[in-house]
Amino acid sequence: MNKCIDSDIQEMLPDLLHRALADGERQRVQAHLATCESCQEDLEVLRTVKSAAVFAPSIDVDSVVRQIPPYRTIVPATERPARTRVVSWLVAASLAVVVLGGGSILLQSNGSLASRARSQQPALRIAKVPDATKPSPPESVARSKTGMQPSIPAHPQALALAADADGLSDGSLVQLMNDMDGFDALPASEPDPVISVDSGDSL
Amino acid sequence: MELINRWRAGDGRAATRLVGRHSQALARFAASAGERDGIEELVQDTFVRAFASLDSFRGASTLRTWLFTIERRLMLDRRRAERRSRETVPVEESDHVSEYGALDGLIAEEAQERVRKSLDALSPTQREVFTLRVQQGLSYKEIAEVVGSTEGAARVHYHNAIKTVKEFLKDE
Repeated sequence: MNKCIDSDIQEMLPDLLHRALADGERQRVQAHLATCESCQEDLEVLRTVKSAAVFAPSIDVDSVVRQIPPYRTIVPATERPARTRVVSWLVAASLAVVVLGGGSILLQSNGSLASRARSQQPALRIAKVPDATKPSPPESVARSKTGMQPSIPAHPQALALAADADGLSDGSLVQLMNDMDGFDALPASEPDPVISVDSGDSL
Repeated sequence: MELINRWRAGDGRAATRLVGRHSQALARFAASAGERDGIEELVQDTFVRAFASLDSFRGASTLRTWLFTIERRLMLDRRRAERRSRETVPVEESDHVSEYGALDGLIAEEAQERVRKSLDALSPTQREVFTLRVQQGLSYKEIAEVVGSTEGAARVHYHNAIKTVKEFLKDE
């Protein structure tokens, strides 16, 4: 048996089964089938497959319909009342403000903490060097050694703070506290490196 | 569209007529596509989902084609879920026995059994295209819409499928 090469006819065979062909097309297909064994065989296969579909269970229409909600209870998103949409937008905007505000405050506080940590680091380094029990060199000496003019006022007691505070008299402590009250919370610029040079054993 | 509009207007009988008109076709498509259990539930879910989103149906395709598309998506979801559960829960030997027992009850005639086997020899897409074309009488354009493919690809799947089925039935 030769294979049929008329693909148009082959493609119309399922439509013939479902009576979906116009009169002219149906007559053309039937005329072809009368002489083509290959297409007759195809049609027989299609008939078998179509009729074999009966094993699908029958569906209880009423039970399906009972599960379908009435049309009015289904409210598509586009038909929500305008007021609901406005409230949703307001809630979303409020959340955005809270999140952005909180985030920026956190960032700012983190940044100031980091800068504080940076500004305190040299002070700690300074405090390690001189011995608080020994008299600290006068400011003029420090200036003459380095040849640089420090941009911040000298506070000899403050330099000794992280060292041994037990050796200070009550008067010195009061003076130290008063001096500390006068400090700025944050330095205007990076600490002057000349202070660490005063220790004499660095650089 | 008339029945749809009547249902929207509150006519409950319109829903009954729509379900009655398409439910068996959906059941046959599910059975042909390899579904064995829960076909009624699948058809029901298809209608519930379809009626819930009926406003998105514009009538560009036939309602039946649109329903097939929804049902097919549900079948794919089911298979994915089954695959996941198979990966976690081992299948008991008794499950196989009960499945084939139920299937034996459903398939009464030998010819039907042979057809089922021949369809099982197809790839999932070939089987869908072939059954939609032969058992449901959909055009290639409609089939392409249901399976998310092109008309040309649907034609190729159909021709490959009929060749395989024909050979299978001849050899049996």
